[in-house]
Amino acid sequence: MNASPRKLTLDEWDDRHEQLRRDGLREPTYGGPLRRHVVRDRNFRLQHLQFDNSPAALRLWNFLLTENQRLHQARANGDKLVGAMKDLGTVPVMAYSLPSMRAFYPDGAWWTPCLMECGDMLLQQAETMGLDSSFCPVRAMLPAFEHGGHFPRPDLLVCSAGAICDDFSAIAQRLEHLGHPILWWEMPRRRQPDSGETACALPGGLSAPKIQVDCVRAELGRVGQALGELAGKHLDDVWLADGIRAANRVRRTLESLRRTVYAAPAAALPALEMLVAEMLAIHFCSDREESIAVLDGLLAEAQSRARRNQFAVSADAARIFWVNPVADLRAMNLLEEIGGRICGTDYMFTHALDLIPEDLPPLEALARAALADPMVGPASDRAARIVRECRANGAEALVVSRIPGASHCAREGEIILQFARREIGIPAIELEISPVCDAMRTGLRSRLQALVEIARDRRPA
Amino acid sequence: MDVFLTSPWIPPEWVRAHGLQPRGIWAAENLQRLPCPLSAGVCAFAESAVRFAQSRAESAAVFSTACDQMRRAFDAAIFRGQRQAFLFNLPATWQTAAAGQILRSELERLGRFLLAMGGRAPSPEQLWLEMLQAGRTRKLLLESARASSSRGFAEAVARFHWDGSFSPPPPAAPADQIPLALVGGPFLASHWKWLDALEAAGGRVALDATEMGELSLAPPLESETVAKDPFDTLFRGCLDNTIGVFQRPNARLYSWLKPRLASRQARGIVLWHFTGCDLWRAEAPTLRETFGLPVLLLEACAEPGAAPRDLNRLQAFVETLR
Repeated sequence: MNASPRKLTLDEWDDRHEQLRRDGLREPTYGGPLRRHVVRDRNFRLQHLQFDNSPAALRLWNFLLTENQRLHQARANGDKLVGAMKDLGTVPVMAYSLPSMRAFYPDGAWWTPCLMECGDMLLQQAETMGLDSSFCPVRAMLPAFEHGGHFPRPDLLVCSAGAICDDFSAIAQRLEHLGHPILWWEMPRRRQPDSGETACALPGGLSAPKIQVDCVRAELGRVGQALGELAGKHLDDVWLADGIRAANRVRRTLESLRRTVYAAPAAALPALEMLVAEMLAIHFCSDREESIAVLDGLLAEAQSRARRNQFAVSADAARIFWVNPVADLRAMNLLEEIGGRICGTDYMFTHALDLIPEDLPPLEALARAALADPMVGPASDRAARIVRECRANGAEALVVSRIPGASHCAREGEIILQFARREIGIPAIELEISPVCDAMRTGLRSRLQALVEIARDRRPA
Repeated sequence: MDVFLTSPWIPPEWVRAHGLQPRGIWAAENLQRLPCPLSAGVCAFAESAVRFAQSRAESAAVFSTACDQMRRAFDAAIFRGQRQAFLFNLPATWQTAAAGQILRSELERLGRFLLAMGGRAPSPEQLWLEMLQAGRTRKLLLESARASSSRGFAEAVARFHWDGSFSPPPPAAPADQIPLALVGGPFLASHWKWLDALEAAGGRVALDATEMGELSLAPPLESETVAKDPFDTLFRGCLDNTIGVFQRPNARLYSWLKPRLASRQARGIVLWHFTGCDLWRAEAPTLRETFGLPVLLLEACAEPGAAPRDLNRLQAFVETLR
């Protein structure tokens, strides 16, 4: 079943899937040809994407694209569903610590307009609900809640408040006004400890004053109590510690995968599949055990390719560090089409990639992990990590991808770009990618091409 | 030393008790003198605050985390080399002990910052005096709100935020004008001409519920008898009386608005917000649904003054309510 790495269109995947089946491919229950996600779920964007040709990538895509179905099935099986919002990586670790409980991010609906090429009308519906294009595409979440047809309505909604994006906070508040009660928990803006304050080390080489860690720990205690009440069980430290260990297994595998692909001279897996793989860290795509299996498969494929010296993107490609997730998945294909490759990322949830400390009381460990969120601290902290990873992975250029309407993008892009130019002097650009970026494709291509050319020109002769 | 505050929820009496001069940055007449180049999505008020603070190197600036724009404006100020700046973490929630601890510790931390800026450690008596004085002025302003001219009230509140003083606002001219509520974000000195335009169009602000209007005027102290622990009283006052669109849930804002909209007989709401302000902009449908009043969105942009198109909209809004 091992074939040389290649990118396939959806049509080509139809044939490839047939061939794999004939060769004895065994798929999980959610497996099948990718085509069905277009026919059944109207995910038309798939027709314009290029996919990796490995069975591991097939499994990844099927896992991602069946999430809503799997959630509906879990509900039918009696599982409790938790809608975690905004914290990107902490509350799900707690929820999956309890038996028969799943957590997902309704925020994830922000990709639905892309996948359905706006055929879902979610953005248009959001506009009629008072949230126009001045808000981030995550506004798609609101009509998805109100009108159904996507994810099931969660049994409990939890959202962090405080140091979060204004657009998300405003959308979540609107959601509550429309009759969806939310458990809000406070997330202070992370700061450096002042002299005389007790400092706590956070994942990612950060630190925060103890008072902030104590606050978040208390708040997560409240969340844990609500989760326990929903499950009818007390969420104790033993369960939480197990949950943290399981989450760290996902994070370790992902870290190995990122190292194998990003740090290597050439990329064993394409940028698009790596983006989706990284996303599994935040809530395990609603199935923690299966996400481990999916990541194990991708890691094995990447390592096998590296051993065989076969790569999805050539070693000649310009090494690009990418900041922020793209609203249109096609942008990741575009980067590789014009001769770039990803050598490092900050998709806004680096705290969900870092290991959660296992040598601390579980809630304390989770509080520290939550406070390491790049979005709750100063932009300079985020920029410093980006620069560090650019250096470590030999980035030749930096792309800050703006999310249309997102309140944080207005400022932090400028700071990250200037910080990177000052510290490492690599070429850097900012660009905005809308949920379906076809209309801007020419402009995007030109900008990325210019960046790639400049990066290559700077190579020593 | 002047200490410029970017949020009305940072208690000026705490700054004054340290022997420093608190100044609401929004009340500065030259805050937004010229349009400034903005990258897409940046709030012009937040950017103006950064530039204003930068231009006054001998002063200090206190930013707040009440919105993402201002929180990140602080990042920008620091990145551009501002050293005498402080970011006050204003919790979005208030119902829990954790939120209270954060607020209390931020007040203490602000106190340490003010000392580092050359302030003096306040005695409890001094703090209490400042709290009493500020409370009395707020009370006078609140009492004058109903009967004042729209612009006169805005100017009187701004004066209080600028130097702590009270000057009685002129009474409203008796006329058959449409009572409206002005709800929303920072309403700066450069925006006062909107109030003239509104009155010329036949409307008047019966309720100034902008962040720097009545919303910023906490109720006076319950008792003028010296408190055992004035700092604790200050902290509790902040925790209990902060009412903002940024709070989660923002039920306090709606509870505050409801009786006032009714008692002032507001017939419509002008929702005022800066470009890029998601927090206020998103409230438009909720305001409509909750109060059953027509809502007109007016957007303050990077350029000071009123754009003809928006003036036209305001006039049409008042006309439809006749």
